[in-house]
Amino acid sequence: MVATTDLAPRPVSAPARAPRAAGRRGRRVGTNLTAYALLAGGVLCFALFSWYPTIRTFLLAFQHTNFVGASQWVGWKNFHRLFADPEFVDAWRNSFEFTGVALVLGFGVPFVLAVVLNELRHWKTLFRLLVYLPVMIPPAVVAILWKWFYDPGNGLFNEVLKGVGLPTSSWTNSTHTAIVSLVLVSTWANLGGTTLIYLAALQNIPTELYEAAELDGANLLQRVRHVTVPQTRYVMLMLLLLQIVATMQEFTTPFIMTGGGPQDATVTVLYLIYKYAFVYFDYGTACALTIMLFAFLGIFSALYLRLTRNAD
Amino acid sequence: MRTALFPRMAALVLATGTAVTVMAACSSSDSGNSASGSVTISVNCQPPTSDPIDRKAFNDDIAIFEKAHPNIHIQPKDEFPCDDPKTFDAKLAGGQMENVFYVYYTDVAHVISEGQAADINSDVSGVKGLGDIQTSTLGVFKGPNGHLYGLPKTNYSMGLLYNRALFTQAGLDPNSPPATWDDVRTDAKKIAALGNGIVGYADYSASNQGGWHFTAELYSQGGSMVSSNGKEAAFNDAAGKAVLTNLQQMRWTDNSMGTKQLLTIPDVQAMMGAGKLGMYVAAPDNLPTLVKQYQGSYNNLAIAPMPGDHATLLGGDGYMFNVKDTPAQIQAGIQWLQFENLTPGAGQFNYQRSAANGSPVGLPEPDLWKGSTATADDQAKAKYANVPSQNDQDFITAMKTKQGKIEPVDAQQIYSVLDGVMSAVLTNQGANIDQLLSDASTKVNSLLANQ
Amino acid sequence: MSIAQRGPRSLASPMSLRSTQGKIVYWAIFGGMLILFVLAFLFPIYWMVSGAMKSTPELVGTPPTLYPHQAHPGNYATAWSDMNLGQYLTNTVIQAGGAWLLQIVLCTAAAYALSKMRPLFGRVILGGILATLMVPTQALVVPKYLTALDVPFIHANLLNSPLAIWLPAAANAFNLYLLKRFFDQIPDDLMEAASLDGAGPIRTLWYIVLPMARPVLGVVSIFAVVAVWQDFLWPLLVFTDGTKQPITVGVEQLAANLPLNETLAALVLASAPLVAVFLVFQRHIIAGLGAGSVKG
Repeated sequence: MVATTDLAPRPVSAPARAPRAAGRRGRRVGTNLTAYALLAGGVLCFALFSWYPTIRTFLLAFQHTNFVGASQWVGWKNFHRLFADPEFVDAWRNSFEFTGVALVLGFGVPFVLAVVLNELRHWKTLFRLLVYLPVMIPPAVVAILWKWFYDPGNGLFNEVLKGVGLPTSSWTNSTHTAIVSLVLVSTWANLGGTTLIYLAALQNIPTELYEAAELDGANLLQRVRHVTVPQTRYVMLMLLLLQIVATMQEFTTPFIMTGGGPQDATVTVLYLIYKYAFVYFDYGTACALTIMLFAFLGIFSALYLRLTRNAD
Repeated sequence: MRTALFPRMAALVLATGTAVTVMAACSSSDSGNSASGSVTISVNCQPPTSDPIDRKAFNDDIAIFEKAHPNIHIQPKDEFPCDDPKTFDAKLAGGQMENVFYVYYTDVAHVISEGQAADINSDVSGVKGLGDIQTSTLGVFKGPNGHLYGLPKTNYSMGLLYNRALFTQAGLDPNSPPATWDDVRTDAKKIAALGNGIVGYADYSASNQGGWHFTAELYSQGGSMVSSNGKEAAFNDAAGKAVLTNLQQMRWTDNSMGTKQLLTIPDVQAMMGAGKLGMYVAAPDNLPTLVKQYQGSYNNLAIAPMPGDHATLLGGDGYMFNVKDTPAQIQAGIQWLQFENLTPGAGQFNYQRSAANGSPVGLPEPDLWKGSTATADDQAKAKYANVPSQNDQDFITAMKTKQGKIEPVDAQQIYSVLDGVMSAVLTNQGANIDQLLSDASTKVNSLLANQ
Repeated sequence: MSIAQRGPRSLASPMSLRSTQGKIVYWAIFGGMLILFVLAFLFPIYWMVSGAMKSTPELVGTPPTLYPHQAHPGNYATAWSDMNLGQYLTNTVIQAGGAWLLQIVLCTAAAYALSKMRPLFGRVILGGILATLMVPTQALVVPKYLTALDVPFIHANLLNSPLAIWLPAAANAFNLYLLKRFFDQIPDDLMEAASLDGAGPIRTLWYIVLPMARPVLGVVSIFAVVAVWQDFLWPLLVFTDGTKQPITVGVEQLAANLPLNETLAALVLASAPLVAVFLVFQRHIIAGLGAGSVKG
């Protein structure tokens, strides 16, 4: 992300080149080999600790394993078990709801924060540190803290609401407000990283663009609309996809805050996977649900990328 | 963007721990026999370094035992909790499980059915005092074929843990805790009336713990979770309804359960330790935690029998044997367990040492024995008692007579369903109990059908 | 130095920042953001730090207190010694440090190769790497563990070795993607120019691309260190030797026998170095950006 003299977001490649000599193919092979050499280490780590375990997970989804003897192939039985589980539908619904609410509440916030922070020219380090602090707090502490905030009786939030005469909420205690409450926690805990990414992207918008827009008579908001947003469009679209993929995998916040309650209102797909793997000791079914989630996210991402192909 | 993590929750939600591998090798736990006939076994649940007194006692016991059995070498592993579901399966999968490993009662059936435990039926003939262990306790470790697969270490039954000081403050007699659920309700109301954030009665409603407590309370009302053939839910009856109605009234009519719900074990323990809770259903093993971790005091805490005239929920822990152990290792393990866990006056029952160390003696658990061993054990305990065990006298007496029932099969998944019911009753004022029970019953039936 | 002169021009025009009205608006927004940030992000830290100094009943009591009525700052010292935090912190530093280094080296090399050198099958490899974002890491924990126990082909056992942390950490698809994205933005002309000057791809990487990459390297570094520092389930599984565990697992293991306020103190102490690390890498980002936009 380097500022260039080009005004277009994508660097313009040089005009037609002179045809190369035959040595090009030799150089191409050499380049390939060097590239592979550079890739080797990373690919090895991925192969060992991502791809290989993923393949094993796929295989385990169709097996019943007790980890001692050989695993037995049981075909689709694990999937049948999932479909018969009343929590299965709840988990998917909750995950979708979580993701949707997180988009509404949480997607715009880091961007807005980054835009404003980018304008402030004093104490920049402090602001960056503050926004990233929640990421560095251990989840256990996040739980104690927010459970106190959300206590319907005399938690901090309800006390404040009472103090200014607004109605109080049951927060995580009610099936209606539980997910929203958790999204707030999750957003707070995670927005630091995204804000930093946006900040870095904003820093690289060529200043000439703003000057040009101002000369054209654009006011502040128009400049945001016509310069800032288009310049960060690609980053935003990618972060949007990544956020959707990540929040569909939400587990930590419901686990530490509500234990899946009330009435299973906050059991997510990942939470259900955890339960199958570590509470019901049915690892095969946990893997089955994992590959269902993987399939869903894969198809979704493929569609998304196809639709946004023209963004860059 | 933070990658999602399974969070750490010991003090607050789940306690966790790690297993310590014996040998570095990829294969199973350890070397077993050597040419000279000496045997090495790995045993887990050594107390952690943050518990120096118990750890020293454990290590001393190992020294005593090894001296008496020079051809057996014990390699202890510390981890907390000793049985962590998050690492249990992985350890088994990787062949990293110890030779003699710790389990809760609720794990036994699962471990046996998966073929992960060794059958020790023929090896226990030499164990003294086996006949004096309570039948129901030993029965937990028997497989469907009637063979023994492990040995118990402790057992507990659920009772009502209460705060004597709060009782006194509320004008109640701390020596006569409530004996029926109606009494619980009345007393809770009086305690909650003390104000200042004090809660009369608390109950769990998350992380499967709500379901677990529902089971305990259901047993106390004379009900059962599943039918005797294990195929059908059996809690949708008057007993189940009584449990929930009681909670509903305490929560919404009397307002004696506080506004914060979706509570789990650490939440409630924190309240009790801080003197903000009147009573809750618990086993005596909560007492040391309340004192050590939450700064409560033994003088103030007492446990009463489970209200109601019916049964109570049994639980406990013990040890099982890795299916890959050699016969010599099994023998060695049995001898160790016998010394450490099943010999009055030694190991965990070395009251003299515990009293000298300042560890609590006189708590109402474990209660493994019957017959003459029980009498001897009680006398030894009384001699060295350093906590006011008269606080728990009724509980101790009741333990001998009250019927204890263990958890249903597939307990965790059933608890998950009942969690929803508990949280509904405690967070939703308009909850329809009949509807909830009927829905839960349908769900559990379908779960059981799909096993 | 006027406001506008303090940094490169961005959304607000320098002229408006010189006007009185502009200055008022600027300082109002500045003040507002400061208050918001302090309330939203600093207050929890304060609560955590002060909470560790309360007695346990006060900590969990209701209504909660805003400051310790009886402060016990000694809790921090007690927590340090009771929980043997020195050892755990050392372990964590080693694990996070090695993971950071390995990740930077391997992911940068891979991202550079995929972005600038575009080898055959490059797109397939990239696709495979990005696909791992769809699989939740927790669900993979047991197969990953089995792999670490017995690494295919070399049959090594990685348990209780920091390699068990370093190697999987290097497989960080998100950071690799950030790096690749960055490299994609470097114009091909630059690469052409370098190669015409006789620099091979590696020299170009080392002398030209990397110095430009300070901002993204800073961001990636922060993410890498935080991920390893906060990780819990994986180190729980692979470190069965208590003396080798990182701080998240160590505190967990010991917490059950110690008072709650001490545990909280330990967690505060565990987070503190992270803040220091953040400040270090954070300055790197600014330095990299402040070095000016590279023209051409």
